[in-house]
Amino acid sequence: MLEKNYLWRIYWQLAGVIMVCVVIALAVVSYFSHRVFDQELVPETEAKAATEGSSLRALVLKATSYGIPFANLYGVDKTFEEMFGENPEFSYAGITNTEGTLLYQYGREPQGALVHFHSPALLAAMRDSTVPWQVALVGTQYIVSMPIISKGTPLGVLHIGIDSVFVDRVLLEVMLDVLVVLVVSLFFTLELLNFMAGARLASGLGEFGQQVERMRNGDFTATARMRANDEIGRLLRRIDAAVDHLNVRYEFLAGEVQDKMRAANAAGREALRPAAAALEGIGKRFKFGSAQHSGATSDEMNLNRIRAPLFAFIIAEELTRSYLPTYVNQLLVNVPGVSPQVVIGLPIMLFMLIVALGQPYLGAWSERVGRRKAMLIGAAIATVGFLATALAYNLYDLLVWRSLCALGYAMVFVAAQGYVLDRTGQTNRAQGFALFIGAIMVATVCGPSIGGILADNLGFRMAFGVSAVMSFLSILAILRLPVNDVRPPQARPARPPRLREVMALIVNRRFMTLTGLAAMPAKIILTGVCFYLVPLYIVSLGNTSAMAGRMLMVYAVMMVMIVPLSARLSDASLRRDRYVSVGLIISGLSGLLLLLSDSILVLFGVVFLLGLGQALSIAAQSALVAEHCQEEIRVYGNDAVYGVYRLLERLGNALGPLMASLLVVFWGYQGAFVALSALVLFCGIAFTIATRGEQWQGEPVHP
Amino acid sequence: MGTIRVRFITVALVVSFFAVGMAAFLNYFKYKSTIGGIVKSRVLVVGRSIENSIQASLALGLQFTELATLPSQMEREKASDKLIQGIDVFDDTGQIIYSTDPARVGQRVQRSWTEAAARSKTTEWTGEGVEDYVAGISLKNNFDLTVGYLALRYSRDYVDRAASAAARQIMLAALGAFAGIALIAPLALIVVIRRFERDLQTLETAAVHLEDKGEQPALTGSAFDSIIDHLRASLRDANAALDDLRAKLDSTA
Repeated sequence: MLEKNYLWRIYWQLAGVIMVCVVIALAVVSYFSHRVFDQELVPETEAKAATEGSSLRALVLKATSYGIPFANLYGVDKTFEEMFGENPEFSYAGITNTEGTLLYQYGREPQGALVHFHSPALLAAMRDSTVPWQVALVGTQYIVSMPIISKGTPLGVLHIGIDSVFVDRVLLEVMLDVLVVLVVSLFFTLELLNFMAGARLASGLGEFGQQVERMRNGDFTATARMRANDEIGRLLRRIDAAVDHLNVRYEFLAGEVQDKMRAANAAGREALRPAAAALEGIGKRFKFGSAQHSGATSDEMNLNRIRAPLFAFIIAEELTRSYLPTYVNQLLVNVPGVSPQVVIGLPIMLFMLIVALGQPYLGAWSERVGRRKAMLIGAAIATVGFLATALAYNLYDLLVWRSLCALGYAMVFVAAQGYVLDRTGQTNRAQGFALFIGAIMVATVCGPSIGGILADNLGFRMAFGVSAVMSFLSILAILRLPVNDVRPPQARPARPPRLREVMALIVNRRFMTLTGLAAMPAKIILTGVCFYLVPLYIVSLGNTSAMAGRMLMVYAVMMVMIVPLSARLSDASLRRDRYVSVGLIISGLSGLLLLLSDSILVLFGVVFLLGLGQALSIAAQSALVAEHCQEEIRVYGNDAVYGVYRLLERLGNALGPLMASLLVVFWGYQGAFVALSALVLFCGIAFTIATRGEQWQGEPVHP
Repeated sequence: MGTIRVRFITVALVVSFFAVGMAAFLNYFKYKSTIGGIVKSRVLVVGRSIENSIQASLALGLQFTELATLPSQMEREKASDKLIQGIDVFDDTGQIIYSTDPARVGQRVQRSWTEAAARSKTTEWTGEGVEDYVAGISLKNNFDLTVGYLALRYSRDYVDRAASAAARQIMLAALGAFAGIALIAPLALIVVIRRFERDLQTLETAAVHLEDKGEQPALTGSAFDSIIDHLRASLRDANAALDDLRAKLDSTA
């Protein structure tokens, strides 16, 4: 049959070509933008240098007016140093006398400066009080020279050097953002290939493959389906036609045999016996007629169709990750008795809490109202939430709007999960969830980085507006989902875990070893560090939200790259607990790096290690529940055990920002990073010890 | 052109549009913020000079409301840079005490200015007027207490004109780059898709001739060869069984 990765190989080739084109286009835009920056910014910076120079010259003239000799001024270096501190694009400053002899200087002297200072043309011009300033490119610096004239008597010349590469430095930040755009474009390309072409192509080719497989097994029943008007659709129509012709032929022959048998006498029936036997044989070998209505068309069963709406919706929320705490900081109001740091964490905590507590109930609700309708309602609520967040007046109403976003998020998430569950069985559930998680992961790669860029350039409110637009677009994509729900007949209705089950499981040692020592700490460090500490700490260091977005992108890229690999390896090795241990310990070590230095590079290392640690442990964690809580699953059922596990895991999400904010109050940002990491490191070590015993290894369940 | 090819090319164009658009957007906003920053810091140089003078007077024991030489100095400083449209000094209630525009003395500044000044973590702050931008400095006395604020109003038009000139050039570069991509990408994609299209073509040809009695088109080594083989074999078997039935029926006639 068709090679499994055939389409993906084509996608990657296409994505490669598109990426090459995009890189060329970005290079062209960057080159011309650099020229614009050079042309426009250099004169502007020269004008600024002249203004700075005028101010400095006024000081010099004031000093000389008190009778201090021009060649013996005190503190000129200090003044130059202060000027450099406020103007990083200045790289040199000097004062010469009317002969061009250098009296004072500060910074890096450009090559050829002394020759330039002695140039007769310059010296002549600088004796003229009507010449405000002159500019010349000397070495790699633009030197702005201005005369120092006291009561008509030339005293000397002030020179300020502007490093010609300062434009490159200005553009470096843009280059980093452009790099982010490139990475996002790659993921965006793959997502679009899947959405605009691949989903239908994959479903068409899949249906084609199934049809051929059915025919191989002798099933020639005709399916009366609408076919798309594309290459695959035409192909399927041809096969449908061939099958229809066979059916017509069979019907005709079968009818003829029956007619002749009915009309024939005994001798005739005897003569027809070979034909009747052949017909019987055909009936046994082949299946003709109309295909039984399965209740769902392949389009309705198409899992790929959930990917686009889910991606569009999740990215709306992910866009806000890199700047939400900074935005909250802007709208901060004084809450008596609560530290501002804790208040900043409140919207994130509330969001996570609503998602954690809402999901178990919303699962059953979405089943009742229908997955598509539940997603539509959720996305509509979230769109209103995003829009209102963009217009928020202060923290109090912001909390309400973020709650709407959280409710919408939980509804869409649960309904989409249900959509996948409804359309998958034991054989393809993992594949279905890979698609579901894939959409979320791509959104986490693209969202925070682009969100940071938007917030920096358009402002927080406009960036939230973009989230509202994305959420609205997800509504349009959800509208394209099949209207009819598909529920497997044997499926039991979903229900939230009961209090009795929750209580029984949270005192269960084996269950809590997994949940309390692995799942919850992993989520606490994720939301505490990535959603709270990183955005705030980066901004507190004087960086932008775009930088916070880039950092969060590093985390997401690690997850995208490592999770499939670690899932495969941990499944193959059957030592999932070791992967969880190593992952937790690496995550726990991440924040300790900040004990070495508080530089941005070290922070990069923190996020990198955290991403690596989480990626190693995340896939193995939930599989361990099925592996080591067999007894609990037998007693309470799979839904209840996993329901409580997910509930506690998500409560960890809510605890993260709260714990991080409290730690910031007592120990500052670095202390909070270190303390959260130390907690996870402790849990990792405790988990490793707890899972070493024979009792733990007792009855591993092989998948 | 096949619909699949059209879809793939559309993807390439959408992604290129996104990437080029984002790059242009980033460059434009970087330019706007950089030029805004340069102009602002140029204006603040003038402001610092006034600030130093005010602080020197306060250090001598003069009251903030009794700085007689301040208006003339403000006029001089305003004249030193044509970018500056006006200079105001106001107290913490927002009431203007000194101004290069005498009509403004006694009026209140926009509330957003005092809010911006209060919100700023340094002594510098920025605001916006109707026709101008504002660069401000919080004026502090020797005890580090804020006694008032200095606001330098400078031409919004100047900054906006510079930004729109750059925007035009960046936009042209982006449009050019996108136009280039719109030409190159389809050609490059066609090369890549060709094999896939050839495979589909083989499949379609095979499908067209599925019911032919004679020789079927030869397999071309495409990715679909085995599936075509299975398809043909299945149909052949079914037809053979029906042919056999037909023959048996005919033999009774």
